[in-house]
Amino acid sequence: MKNLNRYGYAFIAPFWIIFLIFNIYPVALTFYYSFTNYSGSGTAEVVGFANYQRLIADSYFVEAFFNTWKIWGVNFALQIVIALILAMIFSDARVKMKGLSFFRSIFYLPNLITVSSVALLFGILLDWQHGSLNMVLMNIGVISEPINWLNQPTTAQLSVSLILTWMWFGHSFIVVMAGVSGISTDFYEAALIDGANRWQTFTKITLPLLKPILLYIMITSLIGGLQLFDLPMLLTDGIGSPDGSLNTMVLYLYNQAFKYNNYGYAAAVAYGLFIITVIFSAIVFKSMYGNERKQARRV
Amino acid sequence: MKKVIGLMMSLVLLFGILAGCSNSESSGEAKGDKDVDLKVWSFTDELKKPITKFEEKNGVKIELTIVPIADYPTKLKPVLESGVGAPDVFTGEIAFLKQWVNAGYWENLSENPYNVNELADNYVPYVFDLGKDENGDVRALSWQTTPGGIYYKRSIAKEVLGTDDPDEIGEMLTSMDKVFEVSEKMKEKGYRMFPDEGSIRWFSQGDDPQAWVNEKDELKLTDQKIEFLDYAKKLREESYTALAPEWSPSWFEAMDKPIKVKENGDETETEVFSYVLPTWGLHSVLKTNVEDSVGDWAVTSGPSPYFWGGTWLGVYNKSENKELAYDFVKMMTQDDEFLTDWAKETGDVLSYLPVTNEIKGDFSDEFLGGQNNYQFFLEQAKSIEPGIVTKYDQQLDTFYGNAVQEYVDGKKSKDEAIAEFYKKAQNAYPELKVPKK
Amino acid sequence: MIDRSEIENNVTPEQLAKRTLIPQEKKTKKRRSSVKGIIYTLLILTAVICFIPFLMMLVNATRSNDAILTGFTLIPGTALMENYRTMMEYVNIWNGFKNSLIISVLVTLLTGYFSALTAYGFAFYTFKGKNFLFVFMLVMMMVPGQLGLIGFYELCKNLGILDTFIPLIVPAVASPFVVFFLRQYIQTTLHPSLIEAARIDGASELRIFHTVAIPIMMPAVATMSIFTFIGSWNNYIMPLVILFSPEKYTLPVLMGFLKGSQVAQNLGSMYLGIAISVVPIMIAFLFLSKYIVNSISAGAVKE
Repeated sequence: MKNLNRYGYAFIAPFWIIFLIFNIYPVALTFYYSFTNYSGSGTAEVVGFANYQRLIADSYFVEAFFNTWKIWGVNFALQIVIALILAMIFSDARVKMKGLSFFRSIFYLPNLITVSSVALLFGILLDWQHGSLNMVLMNIGVISEPINWLNQPTTAQLSVSLILTWMWFGHSFIVVMAGVSGISTDFYEAALIDGANRWQTFTKITLPLLKPILLYIMITSLIGGLQLFDLPMLLTDGIGSPDGSLNTMVLYLYNQAFKYNNYGYAAAVAYGLFIITVIFSAIVFKSMYGNERKQARRV
Repeated sequence: MKKVIGLMMSLVLLFGILAGCSNSESSGEAKGDKDVDLKVWSFTDELKKPITKFEEKNGVKIELTIVPIADYPTKLKPVLESGVGAPDVFTGEIAFLKQWVNAGYWENLSENPYNVNELADNYVPYVFDLGKDENGDVRALSWQTTPGGIYYKRSIAKEVLGTDDPDEIGEMLTSMDKVFEVSEKMKEKGYRMFPDEGSIRWFSQGDDPQAWVNEKDELKLTDQKIEFLDYAKKLREESYTALAPEWSPSWFEAMDKPIKVKENGDETETEVFSYVLPTWGLHSVLKTNVEDSVGDWAVTSGPSPYFWGGTWLGVYNKSENKELAYDFVKMMTQDDEFLTDWAKETGDVLSYLPVTNEIKGDFSDEFLGGQNNYQFFLEQAKSIEPGIVTKYDQQLDTFYGNAVQEYVDGKKSKDEAIAEFYKKAQNAYPELKVPKK
Repeated sequence: MIDRSEIENNVTPEQLAKRTLIPQEKKTKKRRSSVKGIIYTLLILTAVICFIPFLMMLVNATRSNDAILTGFTLIPGTALMENYRTMMEYVNIWNGFKNSLIISVLVTLLTGYFSALTAYGFAFYTFKGKNFLFVFMLVMMMVPGQLGLIGFYELCKNLGILDTFIPLIVPAVASPFVVFFLRQYIQTTLHPSLIEAARIDGASELRIFHTVAIPIMMPAVATMSIFTFIGSWNNYIMPLVILFSPEKYTLPVLMGFLKGSQVAQNLGSMYLGIAISVVPIMIAFLFLSKYIVNSISAGAVKE
């Protein structure tokens, strides 16, 4: 039987060949470029840690970092709260809501649309003078003056956050729903006997038991959120206007490399982004799991 | 299992339907790929008609690829670098022309068999010079010269200013102060002077335009450019514009029709009096968007002369069909017959003197109510200063435009806006020497 | 956390209601129905908010530029064909659709097959360095795609495959997350004795993989395929960097292209372009929503 095990190598070979060429090598090459002043053509000159020194002092990178977090954070808080409320509504035996699959589909729909289409659509819907949103809001009398959504840092960032929420709350809802349906009914029966009310049941039973699911949503959303690119790129002028408020980390990376031809520096930006992702994922993980060793065995 | 198969089936089905759709739609270009003799890349559709003409004349097929100008350099550069799917002829806009004549992608036209230097006297000098690389070899040619003016509506001029004569109107606009006087009169009668604040940016260079970056790599923000901040702000505060940003749908719409402006809590309908555009603005912007007010337009000079844009074209040096490629360049830049027709048809102001000398005397454009815009623009062309073009222009213009916008919107003070501009320029181009502020 | 059998089961509200088991109180029935009404109203309102941008898009796609600039209405206009012509003059949306489909379908197939192969290799053979390779793969899984972007671009440049679909399709062979998911799945669903039995019957290793392992893995592969497909379909930055010729653009890149092109002068055409990129997906979703929703649930709960 033993000789059969060499098939193992054959089975995983295609994966590793492609993985080495298209994953590992580019990552290593980028690492090398981060120590050079490569400009996209010609030769790359090694400049030591100059790019990293610049990165640490670069206020645009810092700005991009905070922008990315702000936009992601607001969106995540909103989306998780909406998802939890919806899940509570649909899992409550006393209310017995109908139409779960209908609502689930409708809520999920925005998530399927190509992000660049979404960006373009909102770009023109949110237009200051002639956007349909301002027209509708003015018609029904909510505002008297058109809001220049994409021209003020706060409203622009808020717009991106809300668009992200719009795109993702349905997804989170589905995942939370899956988590809720996995909770054993014994817990609720026990709670019932103890005379717990709805709120207590939710905070004492549902929420703690949903922790792994919420963590899953958070980590996947965080990884996606830190790579926010399409929306800010296409919603305004592609360099982070207004006032640099939509300058996200990946957008900054893209512009440094492909617009300003600073490939070497952009490579350093990429590694900066990576280190930040690792640190914050670790913090998130630790803060949610730090005290509960028993759950830490889960993958 | 069944569900999975069902899923796969529906995917395949969807794929089939769409592939079918797209085939019938796009067969023209996709299948025509093999018998294309020449590939041309550009950033506007203005070459469409000349290409059709060239195809008819020579019995060849040309494929024109249009990439929006914002992405044009980013997309074209790697294509030229690698040569994969590269065009035989490609155009360059003035904003990145400097970068490209020196990049070595364009064939050297000063050498055999082209020897364009012999034709140097046939061109408006600055146009010919801009196509040269750092060694003085010609890499690209242009058929046009692009001095600018102010296009305005005759009917509104008559009503508000009492005359529609271009010379008289030009007299009323010789300085920014005078421009504001006219703007105030327009406002009183319910019109708006310009579509947006950016309209006046070309006048910010004043009578002595300076390059963004000088030979020592120093970034220069002239006093005039700084003054522009205040002018732009005044336009906004006094409601002299229709809040229709350049190239936006409302900007185009306002050329021909009344437009609604929402400000200070109410909505007013107004008309825009003038657009600040250069020669090509006439045929590729105004004429293509205006239907109702044809003949009601005229062009005059603003506070200071300026030029804006311009398309150069040359032959890709790795092209496999250089001869035909150069034939096309030749038609666009040296063919008397074609250029005469082109000028008469579009009103584009040519840089090819044998033709301009021939037609400038009795040129008149219906769209401009019979005005001789040729004479006007050729006069303006004399004051063009080509030395101010640098390879940084495209990005720096964008950055400065943003700074002005932020100041106009009241989000930043003047100093902050300028400091921000310097910072952005330094960040994108570490090699620049930026004033410390 | 949840039974594997539930990957395919759509959980109905009734089942859920049983699970949460909260007592029924009779006297509050009346109050409950009015609460229910309010909740339904709120839900429908949320659904409307979800849908209204699409509605605006569809309505505006049929209106002319000046009509859109004048004001908003829900009454469709008559400029649909004109908008279509304006748009097609500059941008061929259908071509973008075709490109996106070719890439996404091939990516999905490659990912599915090779990930299954790799997962099987990791799960049922013991060889030197196996654990190291597996852990290394997991570590690399954490690395965001953008990290290698610049190196990837340079690699493609040197290989001469810029402006082709190859860099967008071939790397799909190596998808660590899918391999990880499938390995976890097959380790618990496929008993080694089945493989032994097949070996005794004289089947070759590859044949065993095709006839025994693949059918068992199929539900999990399908689950992952949905994610792979959506991910590839929505991918923006890679094709944006790799592709230059407009006739090769994928749909997302074409959307960005639309914004900068002359189509952007005409709002009606813009809306129509966006609508065309969106509506087929919505229709496909109508038929597939159940599978997609279940896949998401399964993907999350299984991790």
